[in-house]
Amino acid sequence: MDKWECMVCGYIYDPAKGDPSRGIPPGTPFEALPEDWTCPDCGATKDMFERV
Amino acid sequence: MERYVIIGNGVAGVTAAQSIARARPGVDLHIYAAEPYPYYRRPQLTEYIAGVIAEADLFYRPPEWYAQQGIRVHLSAPVAELDPRAYRLRLANGMGVPYDRLLLATGGLAWKPPIQGANRKGVFTLRTLDDARAIRQFAQSVRRGVVIGGGLLGLETARALRTLGLDVTVLEIAPHLIPRQLDREGAAVLEALLRQMGIRTVTGGVAEAILGDSTVRAVRLQDGQEFPADLVICSTGMQAEATLARQASLAVNQGVVVDEFLRTSAPDVYAAGDVAEAGGMVYGIVPAAIEQARVAAANMVAPGSATYSGTLPATTLKVVGAELTSLGECVAEGEDLLQLRRADPKNGRYRKLALRNGRIVGAILLNEREHTSPVRQLMERGTDVSAWIDLLMEENPDWSRLMT
Repeated sequence: MDKWECMVCGYIYDPAKGDPSRGIPPGTPFEALPEDWTCPDCGATKDMFERV
Repeated sequence: MERYVIIGNGVAGVTAAQSIARARPGVDLHIYAAEPYPYYRRPQLTEYIAGVIAEADLFYRPPEWYAQQGIRVHLSAPVAELDPRAYRLRLANGMGVPYDRLLLATGGLAWKPPIQGANRKGVFTLRTLDDARAIRQFAQSVRRGVVIGGGLLGLETARALRTLGLDVTVLEIAPHLIPRQLDREGAAVLEALLRQMGIRTVTGGVAEAILGDSTVRAVRLQDGQEFPADLVICSTGMQAEATLARQASLAVNQGVVVDEFLRTSAPDVYAAGDVAEAGGMVYGIVPAAIEQARVAAANMVAPGSATYSGTLPATTLKVVGAELTSLGECVAEGEDLLQLRRADPKNGRYRKLALRNGRIVGAILLNEREHTSPVRQLMERGTDVSAWIDLLMEENPDWSRLMT
């Protein structure tokens, strides 16, 4: 599964880690994140991320 | 062909340019930027100061990127004047630039409080890459730093200075840190966390003067306390960079006033991001800049095609590496609220739940990553938790018992 990077702040979404504090379990691919998911560091929307 | 001009090369300007380029491939589209750099990641400037990342890492978009998107970017090209009647800009170098549709995305300026001595050498604000460079360079040769303002940026800056090996003190005017997201007890835990990092915080004190001769020597509070400093950073907020709009007699309040279409008071002139005041608010946050930029771009391309109704502030913040979630009535007081608190200063953890009639109506969770989602769910569902008070305050509650 690919990692995705926030263009605004550099946060990297790692599917292996997920985003537990918002109920995203480890193993969730970026594509499967809810559409209203936002960058945990800066709040940028999902479409501000690019595959790394 | 219609000519789209954007002033500003930050998140709002670049996002809007991308949206316009996608909607109208091949359109005549320009960004004018006062700074000499292509888009860089402003939120990472403190990491750059700390030396955690290299300057090159701030540049996410290489200069060629603009051309690939069909955007013409003009760097080191500050705009001196806007003439909305003539649909024309004048650059600082005297060149005239006509437009059909204009977006003001000039962002904000660091606001320096009117403190005596604020212009001494060694006193900085942090907003731009040049600011960050100057701070990083100056910080190499000094020992003691004072940050005036204990907001998120102030604390991140303090952490960066600490990483560089300075003795750091943060002076905050409010009675405790981050008062909109943290109550007093939670702030005490955060202060303990900062202390462990070697950062001292002093709250409830008003900085009155920055003392020194040619360079800074100390910061004095109104109560007379003095804090020795070789370097002072004023992190006391942002103000919209609305100079152009003001000179052009556009409606400006705290920021350039825009309607739900992100239109300013001048025809075919839009504003988005930190410069804009939408619904009476200058948001100053990334998600608002992105949303506003998209709506403005849509309307610049097809007037009336999109509206903006505000941005909800994020409920989770990163504070010096700690994760802070504040939900609902997180700092409310009242006799009808039952406040349950669990403070673990040693590990920098704090959990506060505010209950009304047995239901969670507010919560603060500091470094409680694995408990945030369950608490949020219980709140959203309005679950009656009154039979589970002890469980709620356990170190690691078995939330599944409440989720059935």
